[in-house]
Amino acid sequence: MELHLTLIFNGIATGMLIFLLAAGLSLIFGLMSVLNFAHGALFMFGAYAGTYVYILLGGWAGGWSIFYFGLGLLAAAVIGIILGFIVERTTIRQVYGDHLRQILVTTGVMLVVMELVRVFWGSNVIQVGRPQVLDGRTEMMNVLFGHYRLFIIAFGVIVLVGMLIMLKKSKIGLVVRAGVENKEMVQALGINVRRVFTFVFIFGTTLACIGGFLWGPYQGQINPNMGMDLMLIAFIVVAIGGMGSVGGSAVAAILVGLSEAYMAYFFPPGALAVNMLIMAVVLLVKPTGLLGATR
Amino acid sequence: MKSNLNEMPNKTETTPDVPRQFQRNTLMKQPNYWIFAAVTLLMMAVPLFTSSNSVLFMLTNIFILGVFAMSYDLLLGYTGIISFGHAMFFGIGAYSMGLSLRFFDNAEAGVLVALAAAIVLCFIVSFFVGLLSLRLRDTFYALITLAVATIFLIAAEQWRSLTRGSDGFNFTADIPNNLFGFINLLDRQTVYYLGLVFIVAMFLIMRRFIYSPVGRTLQAIRENENRVASLGFNVLHYKLISNVVAGVIAGLAGIMYAFSIRFVNPHSVLGVELTIDVLLMTVIGGVGTLVGAIVGAGIIEISSHWLMGLRDVHPIFERWVILFGIIFILIVMFFPAGIVGTIRQKWKARRSSL
Repeated sequence: MELHLTLIFNGIATGMLIFLLAAGLSLIFGLMSVLNFAHGALFMFGAYAGTYVYILLGGWAGGWSIFYFGLGLLAAAVIGIILGFIVERTTIRQVYGDHLRQILVTTGVMLVVMELVRVFWGSNVIQVGRPQVLDGRTEMMNVLFGHYRLFIIAFGVIVLVGMLIMLKKSKIGLVVRAGVENKEMVQALGINVRRVFTFVFIFGTTLACIGGFLWGPYQGQINPNMGMDLMLIAFIVVAIGGMGSVGGSAVAAILVGLSEAYMAYFFPPGALAVNMLIMAVVLLVKPTGLLGATR
Repeated sequence: MKSNLNEMPNKTETTPDVPRQFQRNTLMKQPNYWIFAAVTLLMMAVPLFTSSNSVLFMLTNIFILGVFAMSYDLLLGYTGIISFGHAMFFGIGAYSMGLSLRFFDNAEAGVLVALAAAIVLCFIVSFFVGLLSLRLRDTFYALITLAVATIFLIAAEQWRSLTRGSDGFNFTADIPNNLFGFINLLDRQTVYYLGLVFIVAMFLIMRRFIYSPVGRTLQAIRENENRVASLGFNVLHYKLISNVVAGVIAGLAGIMYAFSIRFVNPHSVLGVELTIDVLLMTVIGGVGTLVGAIVGAGIIEISSHWLMGLRDVHPIFERWVILFGIIFILIVMFFPAGIVGTIRQKWKARRSSL
């Protein structure tokens, strides 16, 4: 029982981090059918940039570390906004409406951004620690709950609830939801979907960069391969949850997080295969994903 | 009366039913035919001028990667689908040759078993991956091929007893030096000629495939899938054929690569890096032209080798991919036809304006 509680707890924490990566990917795809292959690279760039600031300010030792951690998070978010804006304006916008070339262009961006990470910060693994305040554990019902994991779950839930409220209540959320359902109709009603898309793209990139920064202390390290590895998982999550559905991404992310946690305990090499199997089954039964719009 | 005359097609001058390339009597008049013959002869003569093994080695690899890039172009350029897992077929070919040379004492048996195993495996994998993903929206194909290829990569890394894990293994000692009594695969010159025969044969086969009714239908699907479907074609069948042909040819290229490089490890023959390399080759050389894929393979191989050599000048040259990434983005945005395609367009525009 304790084992399962621990695994479920870990799985939900991992799932929440994956959700941060997948939510933006899902909205970007849902709105403009752009399969953004650069997402993983942007996630990694955010991780490196935020961690760089975090370590430069003083790292994880001492009482001030939570403050440095917060500034690192902020730096990752700012980098996400800047990168998202640049990438959307200079590349994706230029090949608007052509799926094939969009995939190609984002692949090119992925290559460049991934190499930039190696140019700026080298190819080595960088160790990252948790800020002192979040480093402890609390025992409850014979299960150890890590504070950092609790923090990530809380953070993920806040982002999820915030996104759902924004999508339901705000004007821009209304446009996004309508755009996912029927982009042409929204355009015909006189709303500039492209401008909304720029916003969504920047938002998605920022979430990815924040997720990347949070990933470092979670795993204890960051490395130049993390972008590719996690992007594949994020794609699987988006395919399972349904393109364009934030709620679906959350459900699928937790599902994948749980399977990762269980497989990591029982048979680590099989983790990806199990996720693939889940995806294949979902796609065969319901090609639009669990909560995807039916089109 | 006059309008009637205008509507009558002029039957004597146009023969639209037969592609120009297949009208036998005009074949010799085609400039392409002479360029093809001249380049082939030139390549046959290369070993007469240089005995440098590194030059022959590099050209052999360009031939093999050229075939790999052409097979990728069947998908990207002629069918209009992007695969992120094409390296898995290449890796299946390379690994099956490496493993069977290691395990079989009889060289002929090893080579034939590897050939059969690679073709059958590539056929099965490409068929089922295609069947699962091509029914869905086009973007799922990119995603599912990436995921399946990653599973192959992980399998090769984890199944240590068979594949020796991420270190890979060297099988130079098992390379047959007297295959079928006359082929010495340890001799670079022999491997070079084998590679040349391979690329010429594959070029002709793929060219024939592209101009076949199936190939024409594939290009129509690329241009307008809904229209082809509404004409009564089963789009999935045609895409599956293209996927299987490309997969099997990539597997054959992997086999040739095993002969040339005599070493396999997961990341060099199965990794997504290889798929991205081949994507760069195809797009930079020219999507939708077989020659473009070969030119792209040559450009990437030679310039990456050259840029890596400059890394002592400045360490930035070690990150040569960044340069190709930028060129790649610019080509996709501004010259979607690539180098060969753009030259061909310019050439046609000049000829028609004369």
